[in-house]
Amino acid sequence: MSLQPPRDKRTSLADAVALVGDGAIVALGGGLSARLPMAMVRELVRQGRRGLHLVGSAHSIDVDMLVAAGAVRRCEESYVGFEQDLGLAPAYRRAAEEGSIEVAESCCVSLLAQLRAAEMGVPFLPVRGVRGSDIAGLHPEYATITCPFTGETLIAVPALRPDVALLHAPSGDRYGNLHLEQPYVLDERFASASRTVIATVDELVSTEEVMASGITIPGHLVAATVPAPFGAHPASCYPRYAYDRGHLREYVSAAQSGPDDLGKYLTTYVYGSEESYQAAVGAERLAALTGWSRSTAAWQELFA
Amino acid sequence: MSWTIDEWFVVALARTIRPRETVFHGFGSPCAQVAMHVARRTYAPEMVLIEGAMYAINPDPPFIPPTSNDASLSRGAAYSMRFEEFFDAAIRGDVDRMFLSGGQIDVSGNTNVTAIGPVSRPKVKLGGGGGGCNLSATIGHLTLWTTRHRSGHTLVEACDFITDIGHRTPLGTRAELGFTGGGPQWLVTELGVFDFAGGRARLVELFPDVSLAEVRAATGFPVQAAGDLRAVRPPSAAELAAVRSVDPLGVRTSEFSPRELARTFEPAAFGRGAGQDCAC
Repeated sequence: MSLQPPRDKRTSLADAVALVGDGAIVALGGGLSARLPMAMVRELVRQGRRGLHLVGSAHSIDVDMLVAAGAVRRCEESYVGFEQDLGLAPAYRRAAEEGSIEVAESCCVSLLAQLRAAEMGVPFLPVRGVRGSDIAGLHPEYATITCPFTGETLIAVPALRPDVALLHAPSGDRYGNLHLEQPYVLDERFASASRTVIATVDELVSTEEVMASGITIPGHLVAATVPAPFGAHPASCYPRYAYDRGHLREYVSAAQSGPDDLGKYLTTYVYGSEESYQAAVGAERLAALTGWSRSTAAWQELFA
Repeated sequence: MSWTIDEWFVVALARTIRPRETVFHGFGSPCAQVAMHVARRTYAPEMVLIEGAMYAINPDPPFIPPTSNDASLSRGAAYSMRFEEFFDAAIRGDVDRMFLSGGQIDVSGNTNVTAIGPVSRPKVKLGGGGGGCNLSATIGHLTLWTTRHRSGHTLVEACDFITDIGHRTPLGTRAELGFTGGGPQWLVTELGVFDFAGGRARLVELFPDVSLAEVRAATGFPVQAAGDLRAVRPPSAAELAAVRSVDPLGVRTSEFSPRELARTFEPAAFGRGAGQDCAC
């Protein structure tokens, strides 16, 4: 595989997400409440994708919605949930308890080593922990090795090359150069380790602008880029918008309640387009989220 | 001046931090999060506070939000580490302490944040351990905590699934496994405080409205109590002020049941010196 050529990478959301095949290993960018690639997640649901193997560190509504929609075969994240705020991820939890998804819970450190091995073009890298933890039992693909230099026992984790990485950035240019704000999470590692990188951007900007902001992920790693305002919603994409706690609560409640209420959520928000999604969320709500920086009180109010 | 159990609990967690330590907390850990900022504002101004999944170094957040990677958490930080910068530092031994909890915690300090029941068909699939199964091997010291001790289901004889590694697992002790970090040092619960003398949890402090009998009844392993078992030292005015100013949203309270939150304490019950700034 070679690096991506310098051409116009702009495409539609539908065409970009069509690059994710059934059964693909999909790396989800962002994490928890920040820069989740939600426009692409919704499009995967619209396109009825099946059998996906998801990889990532700590995630929430992105994984849960894909599981709820029946798109997932295997989950390999270090955490899936809504933290102390909204608790366990309802669809993920139910699927794990029913046995309808393969649970391959991982560890941030192991995953990082696996991605780095792929980036470095070597078959494995060692990690210092895992032995003694039952996480080891979820990963028969790991191996126990003896260090040839120190004689210590370590766990070798195999290189991981996701088929597709789905990343959301606040801005980027037509060549796929992306500017990210912290938390970068694993996006930079995914961009180098994955075979195909698709990015949505809140705003398409000129090359001069993205250079001035700072190119975090270069266009030679990116295959397709899609302008998608509020493309991370209900996750945050600072400095543009904070996360939408009320919407997350609405989703969790629907997913917890059962297939009928979940179906209503998907019909209201997902099955149309990104334009109809934003209309359903409401301009007033989106304005409140973009207004987080008006004052500390305004910011704090979003989390009350 | 009075205070509630959630405030006292956070102070007890903060007190496990030693001055100048490099300290981290993971996902979904509001009590630990607030405790770290309280420590930095009171006895440990020179600690290196790594703020959650923003990996911000020594920030000054205006409030603690209900999620561990919101940008509010990095306000005031000159630098935020990348994900890999933090985990590299932790694995090579440069992080002195982190806080870990669990749906189950056993006498050796192994914790379960993966699954209650068999993992192939769990009764409850929990959120997951984040970096725990590697971090627990290499971080200097661990402070464990739970606010669900009284349920009787949390401190258990043996975890259904060991996510994060304590002092002894079925595969061997930390020394036998060659782990470089010291493992669990403290376990703070809403009933009292344990240390890990000899690699096994040992009760060293009790909250004053809790009896040893209650602790035994809520604990799934035999409770060894220290010979000098004492009451948890009441919070000082400075510590309480720090809790309240760090956490105006009260995210710490999300970890407690309403019954626990009703536990209120007053200095009059503790005699001379209690509730004031003290060096004890």
